[in-house]
Amino acid sequence: MRRLLSLCALLAYPLAAQDVKVTTHTLDNGMKILIHEDHDVPNVALYFFYKIGSRNERPGTTGISHFFEHMMFNGAKKFGPKEFDNMMEKNGGSNNAYTSRDVTVYTDWFPKSALELMFDMESDRIRDLSFDPKIIQSERGVVYSERRTSVDNNPFGVLYEQLFASAIIAHPYHWPVVGWASDIEAWTMDDLKAHFKMGYAPNNCVMVASGDVTPDEIIALAKKYIEPIPRQAPPPEVRTKEPDQLGERRISVRRPAQLPMLMMAYHVPNTRDADQPALDLIEALLTTGRSSRLYRRLVEKDQLVLNVGGGTQESLDPSLFLFTMQVRSGKTSAEVEKALYEELDQLASKGVTAEELDKARNQILAQFYRGLKTIAGKANLLGRYEVFNGSWDKVNSVASELDAVKPADIQRVAAKYFQEKNRTVATLIPDNAPAQESSK
Amino acid sequence: MNRRLIVSLLLAAACLQGQAKLPPFTKQTLPNGATLILLKKPDVPLVSVRAIFRGGVEAESANLSGIAAVTAELVRRGTPTRTSDQVSLDVDSIGATLLGGSDRQASFLATEYMARTQDRALEIFSDVLLHPSFPEPEVKKVLAQAADRLRSIKDNPGAAIGRYFEAFYYPASHPYHRSGSVTEESLTRLTRDEILAFHKKNYTGKNLILIAAGDFDPAKLGPALVKIVSELPAGSEFQPAKVAAPKFDSARLLLVDKPDATQTYFRIAMPGIERTSRDRVPLMVINTLFGGRFTSMLNDALRVNSGLTYGAGCVVEQDRHTGSIFISTYTRTDTTQKAIDMALEVLKKLSEQGIDAAQLASAKAYIKGGFPTQRLETADQLANVLGDLELYGLNKGEIDDYFSRIDAVSLEEANTIARKYFREVNLQFCLLGNASKIQDSVRKYAPKMKVLAIKDAGFEPPAF
Repeated sequence: MRRLLSLCALLAYPLAAQDVKVTTHTLDNGMKILIHEDHDVPNVALYFFYKIGSRNERPGTTGISHFFEHMMFNGAKKFGPKEFDNMMEKNGGSNNAYTSRDVTVYTDWFPKSALELMFDMESDRIRDLSFDPKIIQSERGVVYSERRTSVDNNPFGVLYEQLFASAIIAHPYHWPVVGWASDIEAWTMDDLKAHFKMGYAPNNCVMVASGDVTPDEIIALAKKYIEPIPRQAPPPEVRTKEPDQLGERRISVRRPAQLPMLMMAYHVPNTRDADQPALDLIEALLTTGRSSRLYRRLVEKDQLVLNVGGGTQESLDPSLFLFTMQVRSGKTSAEVEKALYEELDQLASKGVTAEELDKARNQILAQFYRGLKTIAGKANLLGRYEVFNGSWDKVNSVASELDAVKPADIQRVAAKYFQEKNRTVATLIPDNAPAQESSK
Repeated sequence: MNRRLIVSLLLAAACLQGQAKLPPFTKQTLPNGATLILLKKPDVPLVSVRAIFRGGVEAESANLSGIAAVTAELVRRGTPTRTSDQVSLDVDSIGATLLGGSDRQASFLATEYMARTQDRALEIFSDVLLHPSFPEPEVKKVLAQAADRLRSIKDNPGAAIGRYFEAFYYPASHPYHRSGSVTEESLTRLTRDEILAFHKKNYTGKNLILIAAGDFDPAKLGPALVKIVSELPAGSEFQPAKVAAPKFDSARLLLVDKPDATQTYFRIAMPGIERTSRDRVPLMVINTLFGGRFTSMLNDALRVNSGLTYGAGCVVEQDRHTGSIFISTYTRTDTTQKAIDMALEVLKKLSEQGIDAAQLASAKAYIKGGFPTQRLETADQLANVLGDLELYGLNKGEIDDYFSRIDAVSLEEANTIARKYFREVNLQFCLLGNASKIQDSVRKYAPKMKVLAIKDAGFEPPAF
């Protein structure tokens, strides 16, 4: 054990010598810009984090943030339908975008030669997006196809959706990011316009440029193209707070499947909470790597599941600590649950040794490095820290925050959240009776 | 929710400013036949080391399907001095990763570690590389897990169709058919002796390509790796079998019935190329336009213009033996026929009308623009590229002259290639969906059609 200890001491602050350097600037209209220079490849990653997601929706328009993400590629005033993608690809670039419960993020990757074009196109769509009824109808079909793929024809997706809807009953995290099927069919042009006005203001956005750029050129282009766009009122505050859970909730999903699946959720605070570093370490202790407690117990020793994943997700409001498991053939969810609860109780009652905690720290730090390998990884990391942790520069104190967590904190935090009455259990039960005609 | 699935459809890809080049690296052949490649890239304090053994699925004998993957997983599951759990604990304690796997051409063992843990990481890596003991209980466990993994694939139609397609497109005598002949039951019949024999035959010095890329001092890491690798017996070198490319004398259609599916997943395939084909670069240019990017003809028609799907594309397989070119997408059950018709129309249009100069220029810029970040940015990407060059016997000109070879593709050559490969002749259709609702309407696509139930064991299609 001494060798392991000395090794961990050696690793204590591996980030200290490798701070991520960023230049920041805020435009007159309120858009914050983060710039990270990396001239290793002649390319740029340009990310826009709009602080609007499914938490800003309401019943009837669920999924509209995500739908809107799609619409942002369907034409604006200067660059019409298809031109954003056509121009981008013809200039050597590509793009994607994602929507979560909290944010909508646009991700552009391109050779440096396309830098000014990207500013021109991004500012065009923030300022003057088009709303063509024909295109809206076609894109509705695309989003419905996405829902069919990621939820309706995917056991993980359907159980995950049901779990959130059961664990969270009041806060908007209740509904899925992709939206309920009936809302996808029903939202209107007015809903879309209202959503655009609510979320797509420059003062509601953080822009991150990472790669073969200089701060001066990024700031100059932002001043030219984006600064003239006026600020607007930010989205209304999300007022609803999820009430405390009063007892365990259990749900089941029956559908044709080869194997059962089990998911579990415990309410936890948001990313900025002081308990988050301990929760991150608990996630690593329980589910990261094959030596993690749950992998060792459930996958290797008892051979009850094929895999186990878990942890918290970044969130602006209190959310869930999840566990997901694919149950083995011939095993039952009940057996898995029993073993999992034993492990959680063990963590809360007996805690961890300093060695095991060091292992978890090293895993998180190594994972953090892996996020810094690419300009895209760095752009994503900086934007997420700015939005969810309150400031990009917290990326440079990850090691010290983890280091401040002691074994007693792990025990305290595990005991605080992993309680029966704070838990929701979702099981997918294979139901292989002949299909009903009612299926969609 | 992503706007689109991030799928690496193509070796797409770099810089408009000039030719992308491989960073300097060293390569040496050791007395036991192993190849050692070192590439220093110190921008992030991580090191990627991978041992690639030529062979993989191609080295399996027909009655031992699945053994390459199982062996690769078992390599890290115990040595005379470490149990499987101890290997995992030692790896995790230093924040490293250790992964064994296999594909059509090779088996591999890969680790990535933080630079300052090098001594410890190499000690673990060399132990599992040189001294795997294949404990019997671990063999049993891995085989049972692999069987359940096959079962779980069938719960994900997007993944399942890939297995069915390989078994359908490649004839039983072809090594790429193998994934289809593995069943939940056949896996559990593999024995420890068979696994030991496979390992002994294939994990040899003569088959080994060892690549290290990342933040290290070559003067220190080079000798350490030489010492490790030299301990492997030279053994024999993998000799690829002579395999005839699949040929089809008529269109065929395999329909996999999943009664609860609310959408149909489908692939439409035609004969393609081998990795070293001279047609590869112009074909990648054409396929970029046809189905290799967001604005491609297929995605434009099926997604952007009609909303029939979340995504449509076309993949050119690039392996040692001649592979397929397949259109791939999915659509809701009642638009199955419409989507297939539309995909066929797009194919017909390409083969009849070809592309124009503006399209050619756009495809070239797209491939080059993304190349540095897709293939050359990180140590593990570079290790992958170097491994591919070595596996296929290519030299570094493959990368260093890539842009000039793309630039050299003329419009005439591109259209010749389009006509040569993208042909509406004897197409091979593989569909997965609700057969009771679609089988009558899809019958028209092929004179030979078979239906297979997803609940049946394995992925093997009925005889056509």
